[in-house]
Amino acid sequence: MQMPHIAGKRAGEWLSPLFTAISTAPSTQDTFEQLARLTTGYTPNPEQEQQEPGYYDYPVLKKPFWDWEIIWYFFMGGLAAGCYIIATIAALFGSEQDRVVRRTGYYLSLLALLPCPALLIKDLGRPERFLNMLRIYKFRSPMSVGVWGLLSFSLFSGLTAVIQAARDGLLGRWWGARLLASLPQKLLAIPGGFASAFLGGYTGVLLTATSIPLWSRSKLLGGIFITSAVSTSSALISLVLRLVGAPAKTLHKLERLEWVAMLVEMVGLLAFLRQSGRAARPLVGTGPNEHGHTFWRFMFGGGLVLPWLLQTSALLGRKNKKNTTGGLLISLLVLVGGYFLRYCIIKAGHSSSKDARTTLWNARK
Amino acid sequence: MAVVENTQQSLGSRFAETPVQTSLELLGEMLKPFRKEEPPPPQPAMGFFTDTSICIGCKACEVACKQWNQLPATTPFWSGTSYDNTRGLGATTWRHVQFIEQIGRGPSAPATSPAPDGQRPNLPLLDRQIKEAQSNGTIPQTPPGTALPFFNSERWLMSSDVCKHCVNAPCHEACPTGAIIRTEFDTVYVQQDICNGCGYCTLACPFGVIARDDEGDRLAHKCTLCYDRLKDGLEPACAKACPTKSIQFGEVEVLKERARARVGELHARGVSEARLYGVDDNILDGGLNSFFLLLDRPEVYNLPENPPRPSLNVAPASFWTVVAASLLGLIGIILFRKE
Repeated sequence: MQMPHIAGKRAGEWLSPLFTAISTAPSTQDTFEQLARLTTGYTPNPEQEQQEPGYYDYPVLKKPFWDWEIIWYFFMGGLAAGCYIIATIAALFGSEQDRVVRRTGYYLSLLALLPCPALLIKDLGRPERFLNMLRIYKFRSPMSVGVWGLLSFSLFSGLTAVIQAARDGLLGRWWGARLLASLPQKLLAIPGGFASAFLGGYTGVLLTATSIPLWSRSKLLGGIFITSAVSTSSALISLVLRLVGAPAKTLHKLERLEWVAMLVEMVGLLAFLRQSGRAARPLVGTGPNEHGHTFWRFMFGGGLVLPWLLQTSALLGRKNKKNTTGGLLISLLVLVGGYFLRYCIIKAGHSSSKDARTTLWNARK
Repeated sequence: MAVVENTQQSLGSRFAETPVQTSLELLGEMLKPFRKEEPPPPQPAMGFFTDTSICIGCKACEVACKQWNQLPATTPFWSGTSYDNTRGLGATTWRHVQFIEQIGRGPSAPATSPAPDGQRPNLPLLDRQIKEAQSNGTIPQTPPGTALPFFNSERWLMSSDVCKHCVNAPCHEACPTGAIIRTEFDTVYVQQDICNGCGYCTLACPFGVIARDDEGDRLAHKCTLCYDRLKDGLEPACAKACPTKSIQFGEVEVLKERARARVGELHARGVSEARLYGVDDNILDGGLNSFFLLLDRPEVYNLPENPPRPSLNVAPASFWTVVAASLLGLIGIILFRKE
């Protein structure tokens, strides 16, 4: 803390606000805490919270046992959905050059989807009874609708990828492959696109339709999840395309889509935090059982704002210039950020369920 | 495990005739959960009225519930906060007695303020002393150290918590397998042979009642309102065991009338803080079939005052998802179309 002070005297007046900012934020702890208060609009008041009635702070709600399986399912499901959406848009509206996006997108979608059912079944208390999910269709239960949505999306994703493989000659030249290649992929992709948008967003709705304050107070989680699905998927597709070499024009389209998706995600997350208020503390706060450090570092800061700024400068600065390393870095940051979005939301949901006072506050008239 | 092996053995011996027959029978067994049965004729809605003003904290309900439903004991734990070492409802605890110690609350309300309707609290046992005091102006004294708790502002609230059997039960709405049903008694019941332990109901319940038994069969459990006893015309075990009639069982409408009468009686006696929870307050848009008379704010009993109904979040959350998806889809189309 000495350094900026001495330097500030030497560097003159114009630098002093910067140094003031540095010296008034002596640690990341304080910065994150300030950010948490600013974004949620709620300043914790332990004294007043202690005055609120409660029962020895025993949790009102049951703790979710959703853990790494569900975090990875949300992440992979988002990628499967986003890749399918982007591939379908490229197939229906893109140019000849964009065919590479369609091919990569459909393959990646199926690849990302493959572990999903296994993760979900493993998470059940009694995995051997997973078929019981299919004995009814229940519109009121997001879990039931989600199971049927995942099932129908799997059908579309599998079929589309197989048609793509047949057209790419990966299945050989026998009559079956020729038959598959002749199937109308674009026609299938239209309902498939809607199914994928459902899969990318329903996970957020699933969380919103619970009693956990963090998940349910704001109604924006579904929108945030589908947006993150698009941003991570465009990052994944452009990562792969950069590695195998793709037309610059096509990459440029993906980058701009990624840029827009990240912007929407930022706005959505900020609105989510503001609407949640006190309920969002476990996600952004820096106290014990709060996940602000991970959230601000790896999700909002490193996984969203930083790659967005890098992308902005790349889009503004570059004219027909290829910056492979920078592009790869952006893609990786976005993917890590997308994973940590799910990680932080789930883990902070555990903390939220244990916070009796906030649960009771959330249920007040 | 032993049970599973036994069933398999009996299946094997029963269907040993031909392989085709065996596999057909096994298929039938597997498809059993898909069969829709004819529901029994509906009965009047049954529920609990838990009057915490006369609960003495004996925990007979907890024990009776465990015994009747053959629930295992939980690991002994010393909470260090009160006599409540159970701390909450769970997969193997379907009745839970709370102990709320309110020390140093200041002067008690009934002693200083008159009853709401302007009448003197009805205390027939003290009539003679009151008359005496009015005639000669002296206040009768009690021997030192023997002050009755009624004249003490400190109090000990006890309450036997249980599943609320909500009219719009969030667990029932959330269940993706249809394992959670409403019975002919309008109670909420988990069919153990259908449940696959997805646990979504435990996240939906705003009272933290239903829980997955991760130490046992990994399925969701909660109070059944003794469905088996009801079927045989018996009252639930906890209500049967309650020595003070703090737990009352019966038709919901009858019980609600009784609850309103009881809270009116308490108000007339000056217990102005008595209130009902789940009777006329339309909790979860329909009230509770298992409701309570409380002596303080619901939060003191760890009960949410007016919990939001999770299923009502589906529509707004879906709306914003569709908005985000359409926006990004449109931008994607524009970006890919532009050359």
